[in-house]
Amino acid sequence: MNDLTPDRDDRTAKLKGIGCARKRVEDARFTQGKGNYVDDIKLPGMLFGDFVRSPYAHARVTSIDTSAAMALDGVIAVLTAKDLEPLGLHWMPTLAGDKQMVLADGKVLFQGQEVAFVVARDRYVAADAVELVEVEYEELPVITDPFVSLNSDTVLREDLAPGADGAHGPRRHPNHIFLWEEGDKAATEEVIASADVVAEEMIYYHRTHPCPLETCGCVASMDKVNGKLTVYGTFQAPHVVRTVASLLSGIDEHNIRVASPDIGGGFGNKVGVYPGYVCSIVASIVTGVPVKWVEDRMENLMATAFARDYWMQGKIAATKEGKITGLWCHVTADHGAFDACADPTKFPAGFFHICTGSYDIPVAYVGVDGVYTNKAPGGVAYRCSFRVTEAAYFIERMIEILAIELGMDAAELRRINFIRADQFPYHSALGWEYDSGDYHTAWDKALKAVDYAGLRAEQADRVAAFKRGETRKLIGIGLTHFTEIVGAGPVKNCDILGMGMFDSCEIRIHPTGSAIARLGTISQGQGHATTFAQILATEIGIPADKITVEEGDTDTAPYGLGTYGSRSTPVAGAATAMAGRKIRAKAQMIAAYLLEVHDNDVEFDIDRFAVKGAPERFKTMAEIAYASYHQAIPGVEPGLEAVSYYDPPNMTYPFGAYICVMEIDIDTGETQIRQFYALDDCGTRINPMVIEGQVHGGLTEALAIAMGQEIAYDEMGNVKTGTLMDFFIPTAWETPHYTTDHTETPSPHHPIGAKGVGESPNVGGVPAFSNAVHDALRPFGLRHTQMPHDHWRIWRAAHELGLHG
Amino acid sequence: MDLADEIIINAPKSRVYAALNDPEILRQSIPGCEELIKHSNTELEARVVLKIGPVKARFTGTVTLDTSGAPDAFSLTGQGNGGAAGHAKGGADVILTEENGVTTLRYTARADIGGKLAQLGSRLIQSTAKKLAAQFFTNFQQAVAPAEV
Repeated sequence: MNDLTPDRDDRTAKLKGIGCARKRVEDARFTQGKGNYVDDIKLPGMLFGDFVRSPYAHARVTSIDTSAAMALDGVIAVLTAKDLEPLGLHWMPTLAGDKQMVLADGKVLFQGQEVAFVVARDRYVAADAVELVEVEYEELPVITDPFVSLNSDTVLREDLAPGADGAHGPRRHPNHIFLWEEGDKAATEEVIASADVVAEEMIYYHRTHPCPLETCGCVASMDKVNGKLTVYGTFQAPHVVRTVASLLSGIDEHNIRVASPDIGGGFGNKVGVYPGYVCSIVASIVTGVPVKWVEDRMENLMATAFARDYWMQGKIAATKEGKITGLWCHVTADHGAFDACADPTKFPAGFFHICTGSYDIPVAYVGVDGVYTNKAPGGVAYRCSFRVTEAAYFIERMIEILAIELGMDAAELRRINFIRADQFPYHSALGWEYDSGDYHTAWDKALKAVDYAGLRAEQADRVAAFKRGETRKLIGIGLTHFTEIVGAGPVKNCDILGMGMFDSCEIRIHPTGSAIARLGTISQGQGHATTFAQILATEIGIPADKITVEEGDTDTAPYGLGTYGSRSTPVAGAATAMAGRKIRAKAQMIAAYLLEVHDNDVEFDIDRFAVKGAPERFKTMAEIAYASYHQAIPGVEPGLEAVSYYDPPNMTYPFGAYICVMEIDIDTGETQIRQFYALDDCGTRINPMVIEGQVHGGLTEALAIAMGQEIAYDEMGNVKTGTLMDFFIPTAWETPHYTTDHTETPSPHHPIGAKGVGESPNVGGVPAFSNAVHDALRPFGLRHTQMPHDHWRIWRAAHELGLHG
Repeated sequence: MDLADEIIINAPKSRVYAALNDPEILRQSIPGCEELIKHSNTELEARVVLKIGPVKARFTGTVTLDTSGAPDAFSLTGQGNGGAAGHAKGGADVILTEENGVTTLRYTARADIGGKLAQLGSRLIQSTAKKLAAQFFTNFQQAVAPAEV
């Protein structure tokens, strides 16, 4: 070494590896409007598709007359179920083991359902032709309430044999989909029957929608000369789409290329397969030219996958000192017209049984009834792992209600029930093995950061002032300590349509010491190209700036299950680290040869291999890469490449402590978030700036869901919130300031200890906002009121408590 | 959705009642009405162009009149279909009272709206329906008892 040799800190900083707040490499194109989204794709001769959709929520389709539409200049074809039937494509399988109509086959089951597909020269002609398709309907009774549905004589799914089992076991009513149970029912009911204190409540997590900025769409292009089908689309799981497309169409999988270009947000909405994809592919095969289909905003909101819609009946038992002794929950899950939930096959209610949360609960039971209604299908994880936000909301509301029952402070009640750090790995009563956590440390840090005792004193003063008539504003302190379960998942129990939920990474190091890494995941704004390069930089000693990350093209990327459920970092991130380690192992042999020492006598040192005890004798990774391609090394293949398919041994369990301080105007129902403190523990932190961005975005979506966003239906099955005038999307005006913080408890089983963070803020944020509303009104007797907490509902809650005099 | 209002028409009750059964007067009064065909004394068929917010559509529908309460009461029910724009069904009850040759017309109307129209949000529908009803009765008043020039 000499004075010119950079010191170790400088060399580490140059890599921009794990822990570096590296700027997102994607943003150069996004901030300049240079992203390439599916609607930017224009192929020669491309046609456009558009749907005729049902205005009725439940009706028989008695006739479809396409003659006027076909007569319009520029219309190439109008597809109906009759045209798809000979191909066996008028129905398609869903991810949940059910089947779904591609185009209305005899009846429609929800408003906005696809009835016919018009293919035309351009978008405008297609839209005009949609108006000309004459469909006659015969109205049928509409069911929008799952409780009514289970007692109704109206059979929604006449295609299902009465009494036959569904994909998840027996169905006890024609409108029933499954009953899924976990835990010890008898023991739980016994504990509840003999408990000192039991809190019971029906908690509704309303139906909402991921509403990504970019709606769903695709361009299907069948090359009849080569027999190759290419589908560009807004796919969160392109490889799965390829496999499904092959199984459905009979085209060999090597002759299908699925490519996701830039995606403008997914949030679970773009996991499933929609009729638009099937119709576009069929139309392209029939016409021999590319066909584009991109839905509009109203179509996205009323017909693509919704989220939540869980009616959660809960009972929580405790000793009079506040130690929780048991938890019981029964969910009535409204799945809409078809069961199209995107969950791992064995889990029809996702990972809802994480609902014991952060607490050491000795015995628990969960039962979930899935129910058909005349609403759009879906049930996707909207910025959360599978049904985890419902579980977190349920337990965090039950804790607050139990605190009321016990007359205890809700922060203290949480503290005495937390799983202790020395209990990890912790086996929950509902069957999970929590990998790591330190809840007490996080909780104390959060309470101290907001001066919890001071806030409670201020709140008490405000209540007194309110009662004296000096103010009309109350303060709510919304507490949440959530535990997530992400990173699906171990192939032994997690699959989608039979495909194990591993993920993958393939790395090629170029001769001059730069690299490309391809993954089975696909970024929709998460910044994978930034953060996965950082993992590799630390693992293989090549600067992140010299590593290209590429995803989403099934012809080039290794097979993977895609990006949703915060699985990219826990699974594909692990694959990336493991592939990096394979590169490093080979690099070690090459370095040893070049340095003329034994393999065991060199060690990895940030960006190089050096001889042990003689750090001045080293070969940098760039030198090693060059040698691997240009020098004959005995016993070592040329080149420097690796691929890893990673099957995680367990899920990861990120957690966090969120506190929301809210002011509520009792007379208008208006709310103002005065403070929001978010402490996240996502294990090893790859890029603190990307984490902060994820937390801000997730909290804002949580704010939307808790405070106003919903998909509401009237009794006729009309979607009442089908435009952004009625469907709440927060703008800068509504979005408060957030304070972020962290603790760092690495995952013991993940190669770099990372747990995933993209969805934590939504999982923890919703109960924090909701609990703040409830907490403000707790001194006046409010126990529970259903979300979303828009101004009108808050005003009504205050009114029912007699606060308007 | 429910609507209720009352208007005063400067004409005797019998003339108002007859006008309510007169397809030509109804056609002039219904906003956007292109055609009104009388199939029988109680069965009518209508074609109406309506514009609500961003949705403009031609509705075709049937109207059934109930004159059993004559000459004091009059009811109608109807349903219409606007294709991709949506559909509607509803009805109205009208009560007429006369004082000094001037008739007071009180009506209550209800409507169920479905499809794209309904998705536009109830506030838009409600205000538009009020406006359309007001326009109908203003037109009707003009047709029955034209203001003196």
